[in-house]
Amino acid sequence: MMERHTAHGARFRAKPGKAFAVLLLTAHCSLFAASDAHAMHISEGILPVGWVLFWFAVAGPFIAYGLYRLKGRSAADLSFKPLVGLMAAVVFIISCMPVPVITAGTCSHPCGTGMSGVLLGPAISVLVASVALLIQALFLSHGGVTTLGANIVSMGIVGSYTGYIVFRTLRGLRVTIGVAAFVAGLLADWATYLMTSIELAEGIRGNAPFLPLFWKLLVAFVPTQLPIGILEGAMTAGMLVLLHKKRPDLLVRLCIIKSGETCA
Amino acid sequence: MNLLPERFNKEQILFGCDARLKLILAAMLLMMVLTHDGFFFPLAVAASGLLLCARMGVPSRILLVRFSEPAFIALVLIVLKSFCTGGIPFVAFSLLGLKITMYADGLREGLMIASRIIGSVTVIAVLSFSTPFTGIISALSWFRVPKGLIEISIFAYRYIFMLFEEATVIYNAQKNRLGYSNLRRGLSSFGILAGSLTLKSLEHSQNTALAMRQRGYDGTVPLARHKSFKPLEVAVSALLIILMGLLWIL
Repeated sequence: MMERHTAHGARFRAKPGKAFAVLLLTAHCSLFAASDAHAMHISEGILPVGWVLFWFAVAGPFIAYGLYRLKGRSAADLSFKPLVGLMAAVVFIISCMPVPVITAGTCSHPCGTGMSGVLLGPAISVLVASVALLIQALFLSHGGVTTLGANIVSMGIVGSYTGYIVFRTLRGLRVTIGVAAFVAGLLADWATYLMTSIELAEGIRGNAPFLPLFWKLLVAFVPTQLPIGILEGAMTAGMLVLLHKKRPDLLVRLCIIKSGETCA
Repeated sequence: MNLLPERFNKEQILFGCDARLKLILAAMLLMMVLTHDGFFFPLAVAASGLLLCARMGVPSRILLVRFSEPAFIALVLIVLKSFCTGGIPFVAFSLLGLKITMYADGLREGLMIASRIIGSVTVIAVLSFSTPFTGIISALSWFRVPKGLIEISIFAYRYIFMLFEEATVIYNAQKNRLGYSNLRRGLSSFGILAGSLTLKSLEHSQNTALAMRQRGYDGTVPLARHKSFKPLEVAVSALLIILMGLLWIL
């Protein structure tokens, strides 16, 4: 098995997209750090009941639509559900990489939903994020069960749809896969934290005005989220470029590229 | 790599209880904690939850890891609320020429949110330490959580461990060949690891799907059938809810 990995690695090293490939480490680096990871999203207990219910109500239709899409696609391809499960595991691991944001009272982390949005489509990516967030909330105290709706909205819905729309728009403008994926990952990450700031500010402001607290939270995220966003963009680009080179058939199957399309 | 906490002390009484009842209790307690307008109830829930964890034999190190993040967030929220919101000055001082005021009402609100965080995190911690993942998933399916979500959760849970195992094998192989002896080689090895892992994961998912199809997979994962509720467990749960309800009212 070791020989196989080494051989695989040697082929991989010889490819020109090494810079992107090296950045792929972010996708899996938490594999070694996750046992000590303290990542979270919006923590259990922060949001008042009204907001808890509101965010669940917002997330509900998106989850329902995702399930509808999943049913259709898995009926046509029986291996689709296991693939979605795999992507949920990858998103789980990626979003276990914490960077504490002292001023915001939460942690930053890459989301991975930009990538899953591009690969699986935003509707199913919402399901992927929901499952990853549920497992994190139940077993790691990252995020929470009561704040699951809010976290699905920010990470699952906003992240996935932003990533998908940006990627498709840029591809429509004939931008290469690498660049389109980079911008998609970057903006998906930043959009997620914009939404998180809105949710946090609304949830904890009490009688205080919304905007001042919102700006404070948003600014508080900037020092960590600017670099993490760039890292996430690079990771998304690296992942897609690598898939394009090694497994274009998979990208064709996922309708990301057309059959016969060559490397970006 | 101990990513997800294992169950502790399988002999303890909570482990054998019906997961559905535990979910109902947890949901009720969470709602009570979130709706309580004070510190007493959330802190009482947290204290009794921590006692239960100790009774289950959860090591203090794991408890500390589990609570470090929420406790950190709670602390920061207290500071944030005390200094950024409120109208009744509590303490005022100058720092680097800036006049900083701490507000009493802001501090109170911050403390209340902090107590809710600790209380609700404890509830979920007790639930997860005393219930296997499959038990929770099975209970969720009884509550009519959509089957698609349940199935993806089962796959995801399996793949999390698979990804870890794969990574460990590759990492150890690289380490044995001095793949991390300096920064440059380390980065290169990590890139190879990440790329290999991504592709291997995808291959695995396809192989798994193929194997499942060969074993008669028709697109749905069979789930365990639910036993009927035990009257004693239902009675104890109801009593607990009533007791907690009384505490909540007080």
